[in-house]
Amino acid sequence: MIPLKWLSFKLPFHTLLLPLLALTLAFSLSFSGLTQAADSAEEKTSQARPAERKVASFAGPEYWKAIQQGETGRTQSQAREANQLINVQGEEWRIWRNQWVTPAGAYAMGGTLAVLLIFYILVGQNKLDSPRTGNTVERWKRFDRALHWTVATLFIILAISGLTLLYGKFFLRAALGDSLWGNYAIACKLAHNYLGPLFVLGLLVMIIKWMKNNFFNSTDVKWFMQGGGMVGKAHPSAGYMNGGEKAWFWVLTTVGLVVCISGLVMDFPNFDQYRETMQQANLIHGAASLLLIAASFGHIYIGTAGTEGALEGMTNGHVDEAWAKQHHDLWYNEVKNKK
Amino acid sequence: MRLTKKSDQSAATSSTSGLGLSRRRFLQNSGIAAGGVATAGMMAPGMMQPAEAATAPTGAAIEIKRTICSHCSVGCGVYAEVQNGIWTGQEPAFDHPFNLGAHCAKGAALREHGHGDRRLKYPMKLVDGQWKKISWEQAIDEVGDKMLQVREESGPDSVYWLGSAKFSNEQAYLFRKYASLWGTNNVDHQARICHSTTVAGVANTWGYGAMTNSFNDIHFSKSIILIGANPAEAHPVSMQHILRAKERNKAHIICVDPRFTRTAAHANEYIRIRPGSDVAFVWGMLWHIFENGWEDKQFIQQRVYGMNEVREEVSKWTPDEVENVTGVTGEQMRRAAKELAENRPGTVIWCMGGTQHTTGNNNTRAYCILMLALGNMGKSGGGTNIFRGHDNVQGATDLGVLSHTLPGYYGLSDGAWAHWAKVWNVDLEWIQNRFDQNVYRKLKPINDQGIPVSRWIDGVLENKENIDQKDNLRVMVCWGHAVNSQTRGVEMKKAIEKLDTLVIVDPYPTHAAVMSDRKDGVYLLPACTQFETYGSVTASNRSLQWRDQVIEPLFESKPDHEIMNLFAKKLGFAEQLFKNIEIKNDQPVIEDITREFNKGMWTIGYTGQSPERMKLHQKNWHTFNYDTLIGEGGPISGEYYGMPWPCWGTAEQGHPGTPILYDTSKSVADGGLTFRARFGVEREGVNLLAENSFSKNSDIKDGYPEFSGKLLKKLGWWDDLTADEKAQAEGKNWKTDLSGGIQRVAIKHGCSPFGNAKARAVVWTFPDKVPLHREPLYTARRDLVSKYPTWDDAESIYRLPTLYKSIQDKDVSKEYPIVLTSGRLVEYEGGGEETRSNPWLAELQQEMFVEVNPVDANNIGFKDGDDVWVEGAEGGKVRVKALVTRRVDTGVVFMPFHFGGRFQGKDLTDKYPQGAAPYVTGEAANTATTYGYDPVTQMQETKVTLCRINKATA
Amino acid sequence: MARMKFLCDSKRCIECNGCVTACKNENEVEWGIQRRRVVTINDGEPGETSISVACMHCSDAPCMAVCPTDVFYQTEDGIVLHNKDGCIGCGYCLYACPFGAPQFPSDAAFGERGKMDKCTFCAGGPEEDNSPEEKAKYGSNRIAEGKLPMCAEMCSTKALLAGDAAEVSDIFRERVIYRGHNDGAWAQAPTMQKTGADLAYDATQSKA
Repeated sequence: MIPLKWLSFKLPFHTLLLPLLALTLAFSLSFSGLTQAADSAEEKTSQARPAERKVASFAGPEYWKAIQQGETGRTQSQAREANQLINVQGEEWRIWRNQWVTPAGAYAMGGTLAVLLIFYILVGQNKLDSPRTGNTVERWKRFDRALHWTVATLFIILAISGLTLLYGKFFLRAALGDSLWGNYAIACKLAHNYLGPLFVLGLLVMIIKWMKNNFFNSTDVKWFMQGGGMVGKAHPSAGYMNGGEKAWFWVLTTVGLVVCISGLVMDFPNFDQYRETMQQANLIHGAASLLLIAASFGHIYIGTAGTEGALEGMTNGHVDEAWAKQHHDLWYNEVKNKK
Repeated sequence: MRLTKKSDQSAATSSTSGLGLSRRRFLQNSGIAAGGVATAGMMAPGMMQPAEAATAPTGAAIEIKRTICSHCSVGCGVYAEVQNGIWTGQEPAFDHPFNLGAHCAKGAALREHGHGDRRLKYPMKLVDGQWKKISWEQAIDEVGDKMLQVREESGPDSVYWLGSAKFSNEQAYLFRKYASLWGTNNVDHQARICHSTTVAGVANTWGYGAMTNSFNDIHFSKSIILIGANPAEAHPVSMQHILRAKERNKAHIICVDPRFTRTAAHANEYIRIRPGSDVAFVWGMLWHIFENGWEDKQFIQQRVYGMNEVREEVSKWTPDEVENVTGVTGEQMRRAAKELAENRPGTVIWCMGGTQHTTGNNNTRAYCILMLALGNMGKSGGGTNIFRGHDNVQGATDLGVLSHTLPGYYGLSDGAWAHWAKVWNVDLEWIQNRFDQNVYRKLKPINDQGIPVSRWIDGVLENKENIDQKDNLRVMVCWGHAVNSQTRGVEMKKAIEKLDTLVIVDPYPTHAAVMSDRKDGVYLLPACTQFETYGSVTASNRSLQWRDQVIEPLFESKPDHEIMNLFAKKLGFAEQLFKNIEIKNDQPVIEDITREFNKGMWTIGYTGQSPERMKLHQKNWHTFNYDTLIGEGGPISGEYYGMPWPCWGTAEQGHPGTPILYDTSKSVADGGLTFRARFGVEREGVNLLAENSFSKNSDIKDGYPEFSGKLLKKLGWWDDLTADEKAQAEGKNWKTDLSGGIQRVAIKHGCSPFGNAKARAVVWTFPDKVPLHREPLYTARRDLVSKYPTWDDAESIYRLPTLYKSIQDKDVSKEYPIVLTSGRLVEYEGGGEETRSNPWLAELQQEMFVEVNPVDANNIGFKDGDDVWVEGAEGGKVRVKALVTRRVDTGVVFMPFHFGGRFQGKDLTDKYPQGAAPYVTGEAANTATTYGYDPVTQMQETKVTLCRINKATA
Repeated sequence: MARMKFLCDSKRCIECNGCVTACKNENEVEWGIQRRRVVTINDGEPGETSISVACMHCSDAPCMAVCPTDVFYQTEDGIVLHNKDGCIGCGYCLYACPFGAPQFPSDAAFGERGKMDKCTFCAGGPEEDNSPEEKAKYGSNRIAEGKLPMCAEMCSTKALLAGDAAEVSDIFRERVIYRGHNDGAWAQAPTMQKTGADLAYDATQSKA
């Protein structure tokens, strides 16, 4: 029947979704996985339709054709979109979600983790070049740290609850048993729905507060050209924020806002948004969140195990001068000069 | 919460009284009672413990009651499951011959009657604008005293007894008798505004004014023409039979309606006519039939009188003229006529679309004439299948809850009174003395048609010098009536406010309780539904069905016959009223009432259906044939289901009932019949009796007049009577012989007791001898008024001056250019109070609306879903939602009439007694409808008037 | 093994909404939740067609595939049921369902969805058959009593059919054939004509 009626997708859906999906795919996705997914999708849709086919034969082909294309009529049911007999996008949403976003996300996260693990094994921690001086400079003020950890905590809870809702049923249900699994899932959903809006607020504050430090400049270009220190011997120069941090900031800002907006669309169904809107929001939300989660692995790695002394700045707010000199020489000089 | 019967208050006494009970709540409670937990409200349904399941009602014994749906006249059977006195389940009655278990939205939601959350729970009285709970004793006392006072001051005719088609047969009969013994003919019910023009028009054509065949018999039709009928929404289960004919018989279905209805969607041909042009349409069909010689010449020659006069009138209705008046092209007319002619037998189905017109009696007669011309009468698959409205409107009509007749269409002559006085065993003179003794326009009130329900507002508001009775109406008793089903809502409000006292006896408060600005003088008395009592009910096909009592009356409500008893006692005529009827616990015994009307209803054969026979039929639904309704084997083999009247003679004579009226292919003893000899034996030298046509096995092989003792003697059949019968039959006729002997002997000789005559296409006693097209009083086609004017104003019809010409002469079509018509929705019934109080139904229709064609909507400037004002030609206006649809033609709008509880933009919800407001309220369409009454029956005009529409601002 | 299916004969359906209230009646579904609805296409115009729709109990049910908590299960008869205890009200089943069957009560704050409710083919839920818990959560369990869904049993014109797919399509096939012929029966074998037993094929015959 319709293997995948992508061609008939409406334009906004298409334009919004594809770039994001492409981003996710760029992270990993092997070709074999892709074709396999598409095959099974085709198989399943053709199997899934006996009931619909019966309806078709009852009503006559023209009628079926019309309702299959999502034609609406009148109904006495007061439910949203009750006047539409066939939810045309439902099957497409299901395929996108189950055959694309779900495996792609797993590949993206798994791939990132694998890359990091290999990197750690091969390269190991980025040590301080010179020993600690014992003198520290203040890097993050109390409010900044509170902000970071609030958003980070919310991010982690949302990520875990979100991932549970996407992947939990494949293994957690068996592991926990129906009753525990059910309660855990409900907790996840409640946490996700109620903490989500808080995350949105935190993220907004973070963006506003930190944006001024994160505009790219020529230093960052050099920083990137040297691969953040991985290309060539000399450690590239960096200001308060280095190019990598800025990149993470902007990923968080852009993708994060996409996640927030799409999340809010689903979180408040009482604005009578259409099913199709929520389907699109769901796919965008899923793809963007998975991307963000995968990216966050990198951020976490660099901020903890990957870089000696990096975490201190966010825990007590002060970093060793040696660390500052090594990673943020321009900023270090600036601070010193001020004194 | 009443969980058990009144007498047995064991469980769930912890919670508050006065609430109906849903099954879910019942489940909770039974679990709770067993668990000994008192805090019922605390427990969420999901929290019940498995331990309690053991005592849940799955274990409680299920009693199965057989009852009949109370929402329309199809008469669908229902199995009600009752546990511990609670109606916990409803099962489809697959073995019921009418519906095979099927139900429409209303029937499928029937069990909600057992909840009754929004019912009127106890007697109430309006004091200073507030509803005050009172006791039954106080209510009866106060209302009774007021009535006696008014009787003293203004005569018995100043109290109006407005009965109901929701009564059982027994209650309906008792109600008419009750009003008679009070001393008035001011008694009526919804049949007046439903099918009164049918009853009058059809009965005057061939004898009886009822559906001639049955729903099931439609299976045999080869063509079906529906005019002004929308069974898909008004009688959905009948569509089962219609579609069966369509599929199995390849029946050609023609749907004629100004509106493209759900029925039209299933027809083979839809013909859109201009509202109010029915006669022109039928004559247009006949023009083609006569033109092509498609009429049944033999049938007409043998069994129809006056077809030539019709021919003359029809010849004026050339295709061009028909198109001009009805809007239907000659080609479509010809095609439809040809289909009817080529597919015989065919049947005509009509409903309110035909009847509710100033010209209603002309319309109904025209339909009959069409069937006569085609020779479709008295045949299986043919006939006039007139779908009645309420569940027992047929029975209530037959049993005379009408201002112009006593039970059985005996009329109001002295002879009729004498007949019934004899049946009632009450002194005739005593009854006569109960009435106002003055004479108005040569008639005493006892012999004069009372004010009809359609006009009661005029009975209140009209100058009393113009009314043929002593005084205006002062006390109005709405006993099971929705006033919002009546036209002229604005004047009705005035009338309600002018009354001394308004008494509403009903399971629900109704629109009448809230629409006026009265602050006092309104009483609400809670009657129970038919599921809380028992008795018989007559379906549209004339079958009498017995209903079991499903549950005890909810709250403080009482069955109607008990309330009649309470009033009769208070008003001082209980002894006469119940002479033949035993009273048990204040309730007249239903079976005694049935037996009493069995003794007197000879005219239409309500005499053979004894309670015992009806109960036997009820117990044996499964033995009746789905197509013919005949009992096949079992205890009642050979009888027709429900013994469709006429079921001649006494119950002992065992007549099987008459499934198809005027069907000469069967002998009368087996349910055959001839046309009734009701109009004499000759007119102007022309024979009115049938010629060479007689029912099977008839000993008289030709027409004959109605039977009487005299005729029996003449025929030499007198000695077929027993000695007892002879004593009673002497000087009597088939209608008045209480022994049933005359009927028995006539049938024994294969004859119809009522004679064998021709049907008459010309009713010389009516304003229009041959039905004529007349423009509606409010018409948008002013150019047709001079050619097809209405009648002249009448000084007095049914005691009241009635206007025609003076209204039509005023041209309001400039100010009010749009034709307004009204009709039904499948989810609601009548005034809708009961169905709008049923959440399962109310949820499906939450908003009153007006259907407007997109062209009109665009011209006026509003969109689908906008609020609009619809203002009727007499100034009444309603604020409703616009439903922009092609169902209606340009220049025509449609409103459903079931809504109430809003008045000209004002929400009246807070004027209902607390907890008794329906779930859904809306403007009553009839607030915007206008004047107009049929000259024969005073049928109201709801189908054609004029209006204008404006978009509502803010 | 029976394969339970609904079929709505659009040539018969007159949008009387009997199926809708029959469902309300039998399952005591709360206001605002309609497990079944009737949709009319081309309303008020020639070609007007009504069809009654609810959960179609798909063989490969999309709702099952997308449910994050996996509350759906299919009975041996192919009826798709769900366990409300595990439902988190995410709405995914509604996104995926081709027929708009899943319904959500939304009485909580922010329009949050309650536990999903849908047509059960009158087969209740995972609780013990016809236990009060099952009744309270899912409505009645007619299948356990050997009866079929109330909506189909009460359909005014026998448009809505429910039962084993093979039997249902037999009835319909017969109708189609008769519609094409002049003397067709009405989806009934002559011997069954009187009570229409095969139309209402479970019927209460044994019971009544």
